[in-house]
Amino acid sequence: MKQEPFVIERIYNAPIEKVWKAITDKDQMKEWYFNISAFKPEVGFEFQFEAGDKNKTYLHLCKITDVIEEKKLRYSWRYDGVPGNSFVTFELFSEGESTRLKLTHEGLETFISDNPDFAKESFSKGWNHIIGKSLKEFVEKDPG
Amino acid sequence: MRRDVFQAIADPTRREIINLVSRESLNLNTVTGNFKISRPAISKHIKILTECGLIIIKQKGRERYCEANLQSLGQVSQWIEQYRTLWTGKLNALENFLNKKEKSLTKPTSGKAGKKINKKPNKK
Repeated sequence: MKQEPFVIERIYNAPIEKVWKAITDKDQMKEWYFNISAFKPEVGFEFQFEAGDKNKTYLHLCKITDVIEEKKLRYSWRYDGVPGNSFVTFELFSEGESTRLKLTHEGLETFISDNPDFAKESFSKGWNHIIGKSLKEFVEKDPG
Repeated sequence: MRRDVFQAIADPTRREIINLVSRESLNLNTVTGNFKISRPAISKHIKILTECGLIIIKQKGRERYCEANLQSLGQVSQWIEQYRTLWTGKLNALENFLNKKEKSLTKPTSGKAGKKINKKPNKK
């Protein structure tokens, strides 16, 4: 049984080719995304970068699986030394002069199941919040 | 087969069972009575939920009660929340980047009609 993926959408006041360049050109990616030493929007291309929060950083390992010029970019996303694998998809849709970006991150649950680091973390949120809001949003989200 | 919180909530009937018993502990008959599907089917879902640790069965006299044990649901929301924070931050940064770029590109071409057309095509 598959878990429903995480999805987030945004509309940018920029033409599709600009947004595409921003998500595929390493010099532009550095400005808003991550500092990646080499990037090519080609299926099979592998790239990596170090990222995390102030407590800990992880080496992110990615491999491109799908490229449709100015429409879709998909790559695997995993962490060095951590079991599990996920996939990030950027999809672009032209809406007049604007561009709608849909980001899907699927497979997040694969990191959780066998990660002792993660299981040890304490969870302090109230159950009412979790049941009433987070879970509701989580389970009702229809990936379409 | 995996037995964790994600497996537990992957099925709509199981989510409904969790909702029911999260308000109060219920005996097995009451839980079953809330569904149109067969008793064995409900039993199977309850068994999975107990194996995933979200429900605890407690014997009270002659009755068996389902009690919710929802701590592990925190794993789901907390985990997803981290990624929500990450992607919200990144997509905001992309917006700033695109806006900045737009400005620096349009600046030298003065006199050009503003690009601020907010009109969007009719959707649907």
